Amino acid sequence: MSDTHYPALSDIDAIQQAFESAGYICTTRIATVVRLAAALEKPVLIEGPPGVGKTELAKTCAMVVDRPLVRLQCYEGLDESKALYEWKYGKQLLYTQLLKEQLGDVLDGAKGLNESMSRLHEFGDVFYSEAFLESRPLLKAMEADNGGVLLIDEIDKADFEFESLLLEVLSDFQVSIPELGTIQAHSKPLVFLTSNDTRDLSDALKRRCLHLHIPFPSVELEARIVASRVPDLAQSMTDQLVRFVHAIRSLDLKKAPAISETVDWAKSLVLLHANDLDGSLVQDTLNVLLKYEEDIQIAEGQLPKLMAAAAG
Amino acid sequence: MDPPHTARAAASSDQLLAFVQYLRGKKIPVSPADTLDAIEVAELVGYQNRSLLKNGLAAALAKSLHELSVFEAAFDDYFQPIPERPPAGGQSDVEPEGSSAEPPEQAPQIDPAAPGEDPLDGLRGNSLFDALESQDESTLSVAIETAAAEAKVEEISLFTQRGQYVRKILDALGDEALREAAIEFEQSEPAAFEAVQALREQLRERVRDRVERAYLIHASAATEDLLDESLSKLKLGNVDHSQMARLKRLMDRMARKLAARHGRRRRRYRRGKLHVGETVRRAIPTDGIPFHPRWRKIERKRPQIMAICDVSGSVAAYAKFLLMFLYAVQDVLPRTRSFAFSAALGEVSDLFATLPVEEAIERVNLKYGGATDYGRALQDFSELALAEVNSATTVIVLGDARNNQADPRLDLLAEVKARARQLIWLNPESTRLWGTGDSEMLLVKRHCHLAKECNNLNQLERIIDKLLSDKR
Repeated sequence: MSDTHYPALSDIDAIQQAFESAGYICTTRIATVVRLAAALEKPVLIEGPPGVGKTELAKTCAMVVDRPLVRLQCYEGLDESKALYEWKYGKQLLYTQLLKEQLGDVLDGAKGLNESMSRLHEFGDVFYSEAFLESRPLLKAMEADNGGVLLIDEIDKADFEFESLLLEVLSDFQVSIPELGTIQAHSKPLVFLTSNDTRDLSDALKRRCLHLHIPFPSVELEARIVASRVPDLAQSMTDQLVRFVHAIRSLDLKKAPAISETVDWAKSLVLLHANDLDGSLVQDTLNVLLKYEEDIQIAEGQLPKLMAAAAG
Repeated sequence: MDPPHTARAAASSDQLLAFVQYLRGKKIPVSPADTLDAIEVAELVGYQNRSLLKNGLAAALAKSLHELSVFEAAFDDYFQPIPERPPAGGQSDVEPEGSSAEPPEQAPQIDPAAPGEDPLDGLRGNSLFDALESQDESTLSVAIETAAAEAKVEEISLFTQRGQYVRKILDALGDEALREAAIEFEQSEPAAFEAVQALREQLRERVRDRVERAYLIHASAATEDLLDESLSKLKLGNVDHSQMARLKRLMDRMARKLAARHGRRRRRYRRGKLHVGETVRRAIPTDGIPFHPRWRKIERKRPQIMAICDVSGSVAAYAKFLLMFLYAVQDVLPRTRSFAFSAALGEVSDLFATLPVEEAIERVNLKYGGATDYGRALQDFSELALAEVNSATTVIVLGDARNNQADPRLDLLAEVKARARQLIWLNPESTRLWGTGDSEMLLVKRHCHLAKECNNLNQLERIIDKLLSDKR
């Protein structure tokens, strides 16, 4: 096993510590999966509600192993020319125009069509060489010299066909370009895929990945996360705020507040110099936490209950 | 730390395989490649730390949130920390009694010259006895696993076969020798007899556990399959409350399967062929060199399904299942609109979009219940939605076509058929009853592209499958 690739990821406790000092508090489960991904050289498919830090995990990982992060944002209609590689079409055309005159010299003195052809063949496929190849994220990640972290974000937004395209990359870490042959990764990158579960991914893709489901964190964990992100907020305040958010999540909302919203809320409370979580303050800042008017109304209706939960 | 697992590290990869089998029984599809991953994971994280193993295996084996929860429960069931047997049970009881309380005359076979010997010495050297006496966990586990394999315990298929397998495994373990010794001691050496019997009982207990586990892994899955199968053939109208949960599970599974099978064909590249004319025109400024190719777009009509369900007493149960199924495959069936009627007809899509299916059905029943009138329902439907029925629309009607002798308005039905891509009539009554009494089914049938009997889950699945494969 090539633990040597990413020595920072060879021990679960060390991973947890390293991630924590990089500002990402992770559970043992997350650390275990990262450790396994590095050891087994398998991609990790991260699922979970929006805003629990799926993308952040990949970023932090890149920071911890100190390698570049290549990010591919998926969307409907994403195809190989945007994700893998593309020939520099314009450049090819331009060069053929510019080199038109040269052709005369090359073919000078050639007798007949056959001889001209064989002379041309001597030059090989000049127009289909690396100089005309535009690397897109996936190919870039393969070409990175010292490994790296490849983040394929929101894979569920891409088309089904794109998943099939990924299979070769994810299982063999190689890209086949018909004109050039197969490009193999120099050293295998760590791959993270994230999905918001808007559709089922194909079995073939799932089979090639380790699975990590990140749920909303527990109260303690979220309090630690908020404390590390917003150190200026008083401890008692952090606890109250996290308990409040947890109570809100139990309501039937259109969109439950995620960790990032909790952190934003904590930041805005610091800006407002709030010392205590009181009703009017909550009412004024609820829009940081909830993004839909209906949700805000529901929460306002339940405010006394939520405040009681926050008080613990 | 979990000592039993450290002790059994040797048999662990076999155990892992058995666990995989167990998971498959719980309907988690585990491919051979996944199994290899799991073994690799287990080697890497070790068997000592239970939660570590659980997390690691979960990453390799559970592929969705649903599977994760099944996996976690299965893991806890399967790798139950075995309560440590108090060593006192075997060792300390046996030794003092055996050695001190025995009259010295009895040890004839082995060493008649040393009359002070323990009568149990005759059994020492028998590896099974030694292992039992010294409570050697790992030797015992390995011996039991070997014997279990020899007895082919994985072929167990019925609850009643358990005793038989316990017997077989005990025989393979060599319990016979211990039994003979016990018989021998029974008259002459009561204390030694007790000791041997206690050890045998312990052994029997272990073997029973082993067989029980084998039953859970191999046979319970088969039993579940049998239940599922009979349920999918049962008339949906006869499903009682106790079976609802299982039925829902089954239906979800079918829906997932259908969604997986058909989901992949849903989207296609929007980019079509090269638009030659436009490309050439755009190339004029660049001296005829096509720097900016232009592609045609593929435009597709979005398929739509309109389900019209009779929710009167006799058919309501079936309507409920059809709607549940349609909404379960919503991922691959874009834009389902549903209408419910008994006397009057109304659109209920919103109810289904916002409420859980069961609740929505109840509301529908409240709102549109009454004496069935197909004529009026079709009339209402025509006013409400006929304009939107086009060549991409499939209309499904679910009803028994029993119209209480009123005019069924076949003219309206014919109009729907003419406009729609497909008109399918599903009738929960069996084909033999069509046309009897006030049933208008034989007339109705003529105005449909397809008329089918549909009253159990299997038929429903087949129809929806067909619907999905035909949707373009």
